[in-house]
Amino acid sequence: MPSTVKVQAAKPVVKRKRSENGEPIKKRRKSEAGEEKEDLASQIQNLESQINESRKHYNNIATLIEYAEKQNEDPKTAIAAAEALCRVFVRLLASGSLVKKKDASEKDATVAKWLRDRLTDHHKALVAMFKSTKLATQALVLAMALLKAEAQYLEGKDEAVFPWPLFNAIISALLTSPVEEVRDEFCDKFIDEYDDIRFYTFEGIKDFLTERESVDEELQNTVFNFLLKMEDIPESSEDLEDFYIEQPVKKKHPLRSLSQHKKRAQEAWLALMHLGLSKEQRKKVLDVMASSIAPWFIKPELLMDFLTDCYNTGGSISLLALSGVFYLIQERNLDYPSFYQKLYSLLDTDILHSKYRSRFFRLLDTFLGSSHLPAVLVASFIKRLARLALNAPPSAIVVIVPWFYNLFKKHPLTTFMMHRIPRTKEEKELIEKEGVLDPFLPDEEDPMETHAIDSSLWEIVQLQSHYHPNVATIAKIISEQFTKQAYNLEDFLDHSYGSLIDAEMSKEVKKAPVIEFMIPKHIFTKADPGTEQTDSPLVSLWDFGSS
Amino acid sequence: MLLPPLWTLLFDSRDTSTNMAGSQLKRLKASLKDQGIIGPQRSKKQKRQNAQDAKASTDKRLQRHEALASIREQFNPFQFKTNARGPKFEVTTNKPQNDKLAKGIQGRPGLAKATAEQRRRETLLVEMQRRNKVGGIVDRRFGEDDPNMTLEDKMMERFAHEQMKSHKKNTVFDLEGSDDEQEQVALTHAGKTLFDDDDIEAGRDDFDEDVSDMESDDERSARKKFLKRLRAEEEAAEGEGEDGQPERKKTKKEVMEEVIAKSKAFKYERQAAKEEDDDLRVELDKELPELQSLLFQMRPKETKDSKGPAVMAGIDMDQLEKEYNMRLKQAAREARAEVTDRTKTDEEKAEEGVKRLKEMEEKRLRRMRGEIVSDDEEEEEQKKSRKKGDDQEVQDEADEDEFGLGKGIKLRMTATEMGLDDEDDFLLEDDLIASGSELDMDEDDMSDMDGSDDEDAYDPDEDELVNGGEDGESKEVATKLHAQSKGGDEDGIPYTFTCPESHEQLLEILGSLPVTKLPVAVQRIRALYHPKLDAKNKERLGNFAQALIEHIAYLGDNFEPTWFPTIENLIRHVHSLAKTFPIEISKAYRSRLEEIKENRPLALNVGDLMLLTAIGTTYPTSDHFHQVVTPAMLSITRYLGQKIPQTLADYSIGAYLSILALQYQSFSKRYVPEFVNFCLNTLCSLAAEKPKEKLGLFPVHEPAAGIRVKGASKVTVRKLNCGDCQQPKSARSTSDDSALKVAIISTITSVLRTASETWCKLPAFYETFQPAQRVLQHLTTKSNAAQLPAALVKQLKDTTTSISRLLQLAQVSRRPLELHHHKPLAIKTYVPKFEDSFDPNKHYDPDRERAELAKLRAEHKKERKGALRELRKDAAFMQRENLKVKKAKDEAYEKKYKRLVAEIQGSEGQAANEYAREKAARLKKNKR
Repeated sequence: MPSTVKVQAAKPVVKRKRSENGEPIKKRRKSEAGEEKEDLASQIQNLESQINESRKHYNNIATLIEYAEKQNEDPKTAIAAAEALCRVFVRLLASGSLVKKKDASEKDATVAKWLRDRLTDHHKALVAMFKSTKLATQALVLAMALLKAEAQYLEGKDEAVFPWPLFNAIISALLTSPVEEVRDEFCDKFIDEYDDIRFYTFEGIKDFLTERESVDEELQNTVFNFLLKMEDIPESSEDLEDFYIEQPVKKKHPLRSLSQHKKRAQEAWLALMHLGLSKEQRKKVLDVMASSIAPWFIKPELLMDFLTDCYNTGGSISLLALSGVFYLIQERNLDYPSFYQKLYSLLDTDILHSKYRSRFFRLLDTFLGSSHLPAVLVASFIKRLARLALNAPPSAIVVIVPWFYNLFKKHPLTTFMMHRIPRTKEEKELIEKEGVLDPFLPDEEDPMETHAIDSSLWEIVQLQSHYHPNVATIAKIISEQFTKQAYNLEDFLDHSYGSLIDAEMSKEVKKAPVIEFMIPKHIFTKADPGTEQTDSPLVSLWDFGSS
Repeated sequence: MLLPPLWTLLFDSRDTSTNMAGSQLKRLKASLKDQGIIGPQRSKKQKRQNAQDAKASTDKRLQRHEALASIREQFNPFQFKTNARGPKFEVTTNKPQNDKLAKGIQGRPGLAKATAEQRRRETLLVEMQRRNKVGGIVDRRFGEDDPNMTLEDKMMERFAHEQMKSHKKNTVFDLEGSDDEQEQVALTHAGKTLFDDDDIEAGRDDFDEDVSDMESDDERSARKKFLKRLRAEEEAAEGEGEDGQPERKKTKKEVMEEVIAKSKAFKYERQAAKEEDDDLRVELDKELPELQSLLFQMRPKETKDSKGPAVMAGIDMDQLEKEYNMRLKQAAREARAEVTDRTKTDEEKAEEGVKRLKEMEEKRLRRMRGEIVSDDEEEEEQKKSRKKGDDQEVQDEADEDEFGLGKGIKLRMTATEMGLDDEDDFLLEDDLIASGSELDMDEDDMSDMDGSDDEDAYDPDEDELVNGGEDGESKEVATKLHAQSKGGDEDGIPYTFTCPESHEQLLEILGSLPVTKLPVAVQRIRALYHPKLDAKNKERLGNFAQALIEHIAYLGDNFEPTWFPTIENLIRHVHSLAKTFPIEISKAYRSRLEEIKENRPLALNVGDLMLLTAIGTTYPTSDHFHQVVTPAMLSITRYLGQKIPQTLADYSIGAYLSILALQYQSFSKRYVPEFVNFCLNTLCSLAAEKPKEKLGLFPVHEPAAGIRVKGASKVTVRKLNCGDCQQPKSARSTSDDSALKVAIISTITSVLRTASETWCKLPAFYETFQPAQRVLQHLTTKSNAAQLPAALVKQLKDTTTSISRLLQLAQVSRRPLELHHHKPLAIKTYVPKFEDSFDPNKHYDPDRERAELAKLRAEHKKERKGALRELRKDAAFMQRENLKVKKAKDEAYEKKYKRLVAEIQGSEGQAANEYAREKAARLKKNKR
């Protein structure tokens, strides 16, 4: 590197003078014509090499910073200048020119101080570039390079010291920047790669959020999305081995402990949640709770209140909170009183029409998977869902029935719902006389008290004559012999009207379809009053103009 | 007398057998005496007598041999390998018990050893001796090994052979000499003789030449065998009669001659038979024209007659063949004479019509149950029997089906498609219906579909439909039309059109016509381009049908209230075209449905409604599965289920679709959840007040502003029309608005009532319609009823009571479910398998492969042991032989050595004697 610098430096010796007094001219020129840009680029190169040559030319730094700050007017020059500055500063930092030494002369100290001030200026210029679509990514790379150098050399100590001011500036610039790509870039290149950067980022975000007085929703969303991107959670302290800045020597260093990492993440998330979430955000948070958020928490209990609150809200939020609650129950032994009652209450009108239906069924299958559950409770769930199925779209019925089948297999007591022979003579007579009143109590909230087990599944039998042939066929499985061990639910989830029609349409018509053998006399018009023929519902209920 | 003690008796009795003979030698002597081999010395006279009786002596000698052999066997205990312990179990048998033989001879070790030794000597020893020796000549010259021939004979024989060989070589392809019977070799081509076929007896005649060819001993023996066989045959054939004569050995020459004569006789016979056949053929050929005329019922042609004999003479073979082939092809192409049906009486026709209708209905029911329907009864029976076997398979298929509905649907489709198993079948059936269509129509008083042979096809009262199916008569129709076209039309509709094959063309061609006259034009197009008139017409009409469907949708989209009869008529045209073009039309419908699915699943327009209606009438909606109806139904329910209505038009479309859904299911009475949801939601949304509590499990969507009915008490109740399904161009007045709202409520209420009647037999009817009852009750509460016209309130109340009554009925008639009266499934049993004839030595390995492997292994082991044993024995034999050789050699050496020593000693002794003699002589001399 030094050799190249010298080669570069050899040429512009002559030009040096001109550059000293030629600066104002240049400025003018630049404003005059764009074609001078190349000249400008070479000039920047000049300035840089001069700085490298001797301390006398340190003033060039100020000039360069000036260039760098003009990112709006001349982005190309600005980034070139910023690059040059970065090189300069990295070199200077490496040579220790910015280190405050105790025994340094007064002059040196002044120079160091001056340089530090310029460094700060440079930070500002770089961070400002984050707002520009064109320069942001380049600026980020430069800033991160500088960050590394600063960490290593700025304090003049053996061990690296993390330069918080710069990093905080970067984080806040990132989060406030309108450019989405920078954040993606940052995540891809730094957070995903380096454990320490992630560690500091969490802390940075927490600080960022706590220091700000008001955080508007947009910013919240940005932070939320940003946090979501930090997906891969390390599993053990041994996994923490990728460091951007050198690896800390001490074993006990927070950077090398997993719990410290998690603590930072937890704090960041909590900081975000403390801001208060809108309904949409809540849904988003709940959506990823079990997969991306809760695993970061050392104390997931902290989420307990949030989750239970959400779970109790009702509606789709409850549905979404369910997986989070389940996570806590599973991982943290959370004791959720009357969990099944709550679950039962979730089975309301909308559940089968909701877009989270398959997600819910997956969970429901897990919750009711145990064969040790009381049959009465299982029966309540079955009966309730059967009732709902009467008003459900075909795609939902298609899931419910095989699931019933599995439950029947698992809880043989519930099969009385399909097959119940009246035992006593009196009972028979009563049924003959009065028919059967469904003993099921639909409004009962406690699934143990609904008497569902004494009821029968007329609903599913009715669905055996569903208009959709496949649904009807599936509904028939409960009246056939239970020879199959179990149905795989995954095959039945994730259907919709669209997919059903698609399935019908994807098949080519090869065989001629059956045609109605009689051509009806009247479709829209009324039958002649003289004939015995009755009008179709359409004709009698709809006005087709002519009578 | 003193009796000996009992035990001595016993002992004696036991020992008699062994003690009797004493020593081995004594026993041998005794047995020899027994057999009469040795006996007391005979006198010379006796001896002479014996010698004279020559025959007796040979017999005796044989006997003697046998006796000796048996004695030898008897006295060698190592001759047989027997079961030392005797039989394992006491058995009754007629074989002697105590005999050694009875124990069963398991082997003859002595004999086996001897044969093995013998064989080794023959093979191994020869090999051993030949070892390390190279070369050698095998003399195969004639009679070389025959000691009976003198040298002269041998030379003669050899010379003769030599001569014969050279002679033979020359004559093989000698054409000149081929007249000679014995030497004849016929020239052939492709396995057939070149010359005429009376003497194709080369096979037999080659025989002699073969004889001459033979030279080696082996061949000679083969020849001998052949001759022997021939002779034997001969004897069997003719020698029976001359049995009495003493057999004389025939000489070789005689045999040969006989053979030749015989073969000639055979040849002659065969030729005679062939000639006879030829004669017969010629005769038949002569008769052919007459036969043909009989076959084809053609006038016999004189020319043929004259030609016949000529052909027979074999002059014009090619011509004949050609002729024949042509005739054959003609015969193959000739349509079989058809038996015409007896003209049926009217009653019979009517009966048939009724029967057909009944059949159709039955088929429809079967399709509705999702069963496989086929048109052929036999086939069906076959299928039934097959189906039983395949039940499991079907079950599996169903299971598969349930896995991933998307794919499963395909399986299901094929299964159901089997319902219309054969396209041709369907078409045929179609024809049947159409040709007898007036019957169908008469039956149901649907004379609008009257056959075109009726003159009232143009009856102004009737819809002027040309039946697509009436293929038979349509030609006449067409001609009639053409005839009429000269007359012109009062409405100014031209009589001829170019057939529109796309919707654009259709618009171009028929666009100028008033819409109401369209059916006439369509009818004319259908008649003009009837498939029977031109081969291309089928395709044209198919395209026309598709364009017509487009046009129906088009008309629907731009409808005028007066157009509906026309649309109806067009739909019926499409329906009748669908019978001829089922696939094209279903494809057109399906593409329309696809378009709806892709572009506007929740925003149907009137054209779509018309098409959905058309589908509902064209196809049997009661089928369990139908390629067009099922997706159409899904499209309807998709709208009903997923649309959250925002405007009154949305509600109106929904109302139309609800009616349509109900109409689709009016026959099969299948349940449509979305229908209930939509109706109840609509009623709740339009009600003046929001219900305070939940009325049921149907999803409720909060209506948009201005949807709830307000102050409509003065409005008259009207029906909905298609205009309501479109967004109003200008804002409706409030009164119009409330009229529409009231109309929607009224329609939905009526449709609910119809639905309740349709579905009242469903098992969960109570649960399904209780919410409906509650919703209706909610609508008739005071606050709500005040906003509605009295007529509507009355209708609502009527409906409520009707539904309540049905609910009550449903509840009373409901029984607990008893779905599982299945035969209990048998537990799988594993009965131990008993072997009837168990053999402990056999391996009953259920694993076939393993058993086979074990068997192979055992065999291998056995073979290996055997081979090892043989090798060992071989080695021993070789050693023995080597030793023998060595011993012989040693002995020879020893002998030689001894001889030499003796020689030397002899000469030495001689010398010594000489010396001694000399010495003595010298001493004597000295002494002297």
